Amino acid sequence: MRVTEQQRPVGQIRNGPPFGRHMPAVVGMTALVFVVVVWWILTAGTNIMSPQVMASPTDSAWTLGRLMVDPFAGSTLPEHALASLNRWARGYLAAVILGVPLGAIFAWYRDVRSALSPIFETLRYIPPFAWVPIAILWFGPGTTAQAIVVFIAAFPPCVINTHRALTTLDPTVLRAARTVGASRLATLIRVALPASTPGITAGLRIAVSNGWMALMGAELIVGQKGLGFLINAGGENGQPDVIIAGMVSIGILGLILDTLVLTLTRPMLQWRKGIESGD
Amino acid sequence: MTPSTTRSTTKSSTAARKHTLFPRGSRRRAICVGITALVVFIVIWQLITAVFGLVNPILLPSATEVGSRFIHMLTEPYQGHTLGGHALTSLKIVVLGWIIGGIIGMPLGILMGWNRWIRAAVNPIFQVLRPIPPIAWIPLAILWFGLGDSARIYVVWLAAVVPWILNSFEAVRSVDSILISAARMLGASQRTILTDIVAPSAVPVLVAGARISLGNAWTTLIAAELLAASAGLGFVALNARRTLDSDIMLVAMFTIGILGVIFTGLLYLLERAVSRGRVEEVSL
Repeated sequence: MRVTEQQRPVGQIRNGPPFGRHMPAVVGMTALVFVVVVWWILTAGTNIMSPQVMASPTDSAWTLGRLMVDPFAGSTLPEHALASLNRWARGYLAAVILGVPLGAIFAWYRDVRSALSPIFETLRYIPPFAWVPIAILWFGPGTTAQAIVVFIAAFPPCVINTHRALTTLDPTVLRAARTVGASRLATLIRVALPASTPGITAGLRIAVSNGWMALMGAELIVGQKGLGFLINAGGENGQPDVIIAGMVSIGILGLILDTLVLTLTRPMLQWRKGIESGD
Repeated sequence: MTPSTTRSTTKSSTAARKHTLFPRGSRRRAICVGITALVVFIVIWQLITAVFGLVNPILLPSATEVGSRFIHMLTEPYQGHTLGGHALTSLKIVVLGWIIGGIIGMPLGILMGWNRWIRAAVNPIFQVLRPIPPIAWIPLAILWFGLGDSARIYVVWLAAVVPWILNSFEAVRSVDSILISAARMLGASQRTILTDIVAPSAVPVLVAGARISLGNAWTTLIAAELLAASAGLGFVALNARRTLDSDIMLVAMFTIGILGVIFTGLLYLLERAVSRGRVEEVSL
């Protein structure tokens, strides 16, 4: 886009869109406002969709505010959110702590990979939700079962991305380390792992959303608390305003978790800046 | 020995290791180690369950029990259908959601890649909706469509349409406009440009989108079936948990996994065939 602007003769600039380079943002905002207005017209404006089927944007916003203090299905919205976050954090941390080393082992010790990857690949294709019944059977319908589901969803991206990041490294770098006398293990820890942080952190971010999504599914199916449980309870009571307030919270918290992990992993990427600008 | 195995072993083995039967890092060694590990895994499973009885059979039935239950369920109906019937119920919804996702998502993605005003209008809506997992739409879908197939198709569609849009968009953008200009200048016809420049870079991205989309659809369907269904593999798994038939539950889980492998495998082969080694993937 920048190229076309530079190429455009100066005299023709006046023929451009009315808001200049802000035009895309204006079009985008207009489209968003349009969608919300259509939503409002369909619900509150004309009752084409009755309040039992779909809540208006204003009702949903009110409910979102009200749920902050009034309990629904036993807890307020922040309490449901905290229950979800607690389960997510346990499963996610376990996935990172076990998954990244396993990915590194897969990359470094080929026989271990050959031995474990058929089992890993077979289990990986069973979606996290399909583990919900057996997780409940093993651990009861509590926090542990749901944390296990988060773990199952977040574990594969940790393993796969670490493995891929380590195997796509420049072999010259690794050989250089070996030449100056580093052992295989030392090369892994001091050279290969730091050099592959971009790939690993990409996996950690995929794991965030995978785990969060799986948790919502698990909470829909079983539990007495949590955001997934909240929207399910809203559905069973025929209260779409509660569902939408819950969905918005799920979306916002998902974004916050992603930003959090992005911010926490950024220091690990800082050292690359010098390299990349030096190219 | 077939020519291909000879090539792969000699290529990866150094002169010093040529004499060993399973040289380090060879394909043959990987396969042998993999099969051995799988066998060991099943033997350990069998040992701790059936032979030594270390685990309560309700929590984990033995491998042979699950195997015989699988064969049994292929012919005997469980909750109204055989295993094949439940799988077909699930497949029907996944394929419908996936195809409708393609019919709507592909043109939308291509239009977004083509025209920057459509992109500017659609993108913010897309970005606002995307953080909400498709599964979170299930309660609303049930309110809208009831407990029937249409609610599940809608949720599966939501999960499938996102990769369709993203990869169609990326497919359009992956085409190098300089190459098109160059070809046009050299006198290539529109058709030649389409088949020789646009298709080679766009089709692999599209097929990758189809694969990711089908995987998402499958995952989401299982969640939808766990919640509200009277047939399908997810329903079988949840129903078996209620009755504590853990062997049936494991059969359902493995069938779900195997079908997932088959889908992704087939589309992955297609992807490799159309890309001739250049695989481009849009990460979600």
